[in-house]
Amino acid sequence: MLLFSLRRLNLLLFTILLLTLLSFSLSYLFPGDPLINITGRVLATPEQLEVLRQQYAFDQSVIEQYWSYLVHIANGDLGVSMSSHIAISTEVLSVMPATIELTITALIIAMFFGVPIGFIAAIKHKKTTDNIILAVAMLGYSIPVFWLGLLAILVFSIQLGWLPSAGQISLLYEIKYVTGIQLFDIMLSDSEYKWQAFQDASSHIILPACVIALAPATIFVRIARTAMMEVLESSYIRAANSKGLTFKQIIYRHAIRNASVKVVRHIGLQFANLVTIAMVTEMIFNWPGIGRWLIESIYQRDYTAIQGGLLILSSFIFIVHIITDFIYAALNPIARDTHYGS
Amino acid sequence: MARDKIYQEEEFPSPLLQLWHNFRQNPVVMIGFGCFIFLVVLAIFSPLLTPYSPIESHLDSLLLPPAWSDDGNISFLLGTDNLGRDILSRIMSGASLTFGISFIVVIISMFIGVVIGSISALTKGIKSSFLNHFLDVILSIPSLLLAIIIVAILGPGLENTLWAIVMVLIPQFVHITRNAVTEEFAKDYVLASKLDGAGSMRLLIYSIFPNIIEKIISQATLAQSAAILDIAALGFLGLGAPIPLPEWGAMLKNGIDLFYIAPWTVYMPGLAILFAVVATNLVGEGMRHALKLRKES
Amino acid sequence: MKSDGDKVRKYLQYGLTGIAMVMGLSACGDNNDLSLSQNSIVYCSEGSPESFNPQTITSGTTIDATTNQLYDRLISFNPNDNSIAPGIAKSWHVTRDGKMITFYLRKDVHFHQTEYFTPTRTLNADDVIFSFNRILDTEHFYYPVSGGQYPFFQSVEFDQVVEQIEKINDYTIRFKLNHSDSSFLSNLATDFAVILSKEYAQKLALENHKRNIDIYPIGTGPYKLKEYHAGSLIRFYPHDKYWQGQVAIKQLIFDITPSNTGRLTKLLTNECDVIAYPIAHKKIGERSDLILEAETSFNIGYLGFNTQKPPFDNVLVRKAVAHAINKQAILDAVYFGQADIAKSIIPKASWAYDDSISDQEYSIPWAKSLLVQAGYKNGFTMDIWAMPVQRAYNPNALTMAKLIQVDLQKIGITANIVSYEWATFLRRVAQGEHQSVLLGWSADHPDPDNFFTPLLSCSSTITGSNRAFWCNQKFDELIQAALATNNINQRKKYYAKALAIVAEEVPLFPIAHSKRYQARNNRVKGKILNSFGGINFSKVSKK
Repeated sequence: MLLFSLRRLNLLLFTILLLTLLSFSLSYLFPGDPLINITGRVLATPEQLEVLRQQYAFDQSVIEQYWSYLVHIANGDLGVSMSSHIAISTEVLSVMPATIELTITALIIAMFFGVPIGFIAAIKHKKTTDNIILAVAMLGYSIPVFWLGLLAILVFSIQLGWLPSAGQISLLYEIKYVTGIQLFDIMLSDSEYKWQAFQDASSHIILPACVIALAPATIFVRIARTAMMEVLESSYIRAANSKGLTFKQIIYRHAIRNASVKVVRHIGLQFANLVTIAMVTEMIFNWPGIGRWLIESIYQRDYTAIQGGLLILSSFIFIVHIITDFIYAALNPIARDTHYGS
Repeated sequence: MARDKIYQEEEFPSPLLQLWHNFRQNPVVMIGFGCFIFLVVLAIFSPLLTPYSPIESHLDSLLLPPAWSDDGNISFLLGTDNLGRDILSRIMSGASLTFGISFIVVIISMFIGVVIGSISALTKGIKSSFLNHFLDVILSIPSLLLAIIIVAILGPGLENTLWAIVMVLIPQFVHITRNAVTEEFAKDYVLASKLDGAGSMRLLIYSIFPNIIEKIISQATLAQSAAILDIAALGFLGLGAPIPLPEWGAMLKNGIDLFYIAPWTVYMPGLAILFAVVATNLVGEGMRHALKLRKES
Repeated sequence: MKSDGDKVRKYLQYGLTGIAMVMGLSACGDNNDLSLSQNSIVYCSEGSPESFNPQTITSGTTIDATTNQLYDRLISFNPNDNSIAPGIAKSWHVTRDGKMITFYLRKDVHFHQTEYFTPTRTLNADDVIFSFNRILDTEHFYYPVSGGQYPFFQSVEFDQVVEQIEKINDYTIRFKLNHSDSSFLSNLATDFAVILSKEYAQKLALENHKRNIDIYPIGTGPYKLKEYHAGSLIRFYPHDKYWQGQVAIKQLIFDITPSNTGRLTKLLTNECDVIAYPIAHKKIGERSDLILEAETSFNIGYLGFNTQKPPFDNVLVRKAVAHAINKQAILDAVYFGQADIAKSIIPKASWAYDDSISDQEYSIPWAKSLLVQAGYKNGFTMDIWAMPVQRAYNPNALTMAKLIQVDLQKIGITANIVSYEWATFLRRVAQGEHQSVLLGWSADHPDPDNFFTPLLSCSSTITGSNRAFWCNQKFDELIQAALATNNINQRKKYYAKALAIVAEEVPLFPIAHSKRYQARNNRVKGKILNSFGGINFSKVSKK
């Protein structure tokens, strides 16, 4: 396990290094002066720019520039936003938790529905149930998410009036920012309307989280189905079968657990996909997360924000990736010995 | 599953032909394939087929509902938008933008990806390991975000969208080609030709490609459905096709402000995207199923 | 494996109990919830304010969020007949030559008490003089704070008009003018002429945080600022010592929702009580619990040409474009027929309206021949900047731009549509980066000068509200002359001549005069919309 952990941490470090390299090179690729792109100080006077030039080693070679960029990142300095002139790190900190809250909720919903349905499809392999599930799943991951979001608002917010259409919580409630994850902050607050606020915030997250969850859920259906079919064909299930255990016993005691372990392995890979979907969904549901913030930064040509946002968001995805790897390894000892990439 | 072959001399169909043979068996998949061909035809010939020009405004018939509604007009089958443009014509021309471009995107990125992938499969050591990690990093960035960033570098516009999505898709093709080639290399028949003295290029072209091509095509269908969704998403976010062009995602964005008074301006482009993605996915699904059947036989 | 299963079951039990508890607790709190929403009004606004001090801006979005909510003025407009009514000044006196104006102030006007400032005294003459000297006196210690830009006052050349402001006693002040100005009182009644607290300013100066005066506002208005998150919300609490009596609600929230559909959706789902600039009027009409309101407002939506940049430095090109655009089609498609065609910049309701000005006729051959005369036989490529937000004078600039794009294609001009986020858009347009721009103007007071001077005078090319960057000496002389006299007939003649110059030179292409719309839930009572200037929440209540 130690070797495994070391290898993964090594990989994480390498990845983040590569991502910083990418975001550093973006300041040269984006239109305009690289120094201004990297610092975001569009309003700086020539004297201030001169100071910045030295701070960021822009009078020296590219390697030294990259190094000083790394030093700035290590100090938590990602420059300032070109449009609001607030530090990128402050802005990211205020929007990132909302995205974490939304994506994790969506991931849980996707797994909660996707995995059991996939198992059912596998158990009923080649029967009508299986075919219907597969057909619905195919439709599910073909729907463009922005369209789905609009239809969901039309049906659930306007026609049925069940769920609110926009935002994280009704603005009537004043919740102090502590962790940024709204549901936690409400629990930590001492507002007299705490429970209504909690209820309100939960009703706000349901619709966007479900819209995001649909496509990943259908993928989990397929992954879970394949995993379960592999398990059912394996020798230990046949052994259990020949020992005289009933089908139910086999499924509940052995198959589900082992198939679930296999599903866990794919969560990390699906997460990047899920975040992509979340970015668009945040725009539609006016969710104050990093996806909406990034897309709005693009509209405003705020290159510093794009660079910083890319770095943070990709690192977040990779960290989730590594965490699921760890969980998988903890559940499945065989995985610890396999080499990365094979 | 051992099966005795009685006629050893029987000529085996090529892997692709076998694939087609299995592919044909499933009626649902064949419907999907039919739709796919239909879209390809539409994409190529839409300028000849549309009843009106997609950007022509009919100012006397603004916001007409589709023909089957009570207020509809048969000369505008799917209704008109707020500028009086015929939605049917726009959807048809949109096929050559959203669907047609996704097709081109996939072909370009497949070509580049396969070349890089095969080269990387033949190299070993540090270079290969670096490439592998690099690909992992790229794959961990959400595809839409990557496309958006490339658009931010190149500036918005349809052509830039095309290149952005090409670049997003290349790593996937590199990844799959690399793995497939490495896997084939380990097989005995390759060893046999190697012993015959074939060089790596010759091995790649004559021995390996015919055996991995279906994997790549199957990846291509996946890539295309992703490409359609990404082009439409960029259009929807206003970063793709410029304003008068009837790209489906951009049409949908335009329809949003009319959602409550003219919902068909949102339904129609959405359905068009859904239709194209489902058709592509059905073809891909059929292909993978056929592949599996061939492996099992 | 068995113990694992037990554990899972145990967790499940905890989880279910937790959920049940949440449900139970939230169910019993419903009464409180009702009172919270009963006492609060959520207003869905269309954009973020640039500043919390209306002296420093011109945009309607900022005025909506600040003036009538946070501040008071010396005098204001009576919403019923647009006459001038008392504000902080309970009365005033103008000498016969019009050069001395004395204001008598109220004595019971309290400033806001907030987390960042506690006032020790009520409003007096020092505060009024401070507020105006900040604008007038370039040497004033607050003049350069926030960039030293006072666009409205600079465009009406306020510093040329006012010679001096005198303090007679603690509650009496006197304005001495260099020359009589017929629009002076109207200008003081506009949304820009708000009164700030001198005590607060001095406190900030000591702490070296002068900029905060425009970011954390202190005024005397019916509401005080609680919190502001750019792009997200503004929260106001009532001012408990408001001199006209405390407002009837506990909380006023501006929910910043730039998307038109987003605002409508929130109105339909009751997430917002009142929304700005509603779209889909038909849909709102279908619901019995929603009310659509319209207020005639003095405004103009136009296509402005940047006359400093080719090809629009050539008057023939401007005319060609003007003749190529089908105005009626725009009125039908963008305003849904709810607006008047604009022939000049002055709306019909104004006394300066001149019927003899004729409209630029829609004629493609004419436009083409003008273009050939100008030397652009094969057309050219241009940018149209379309404002990203909805305003009364232009409910959908993007659609308008698309229509113009199609029209211009017919005479061989390829138009690209450009748009930015609102604040960025305004900044770039003020810097003259555009070639042509779809924008508009809402009058701040009934005097017609409020159309001429800010839109087209030379002085406003510098302050940035003249987006055509057009400067014509003769035109400027005419509008100066019109201001110097109080004789309406005389002024009318001057303005007619000025309008004729505009019609000949086409620095901008007038499109429409429209109403301002707003939609609300019928539980919200009280007038919010005014004919001039921003919205006013001081009279609202909720049932």
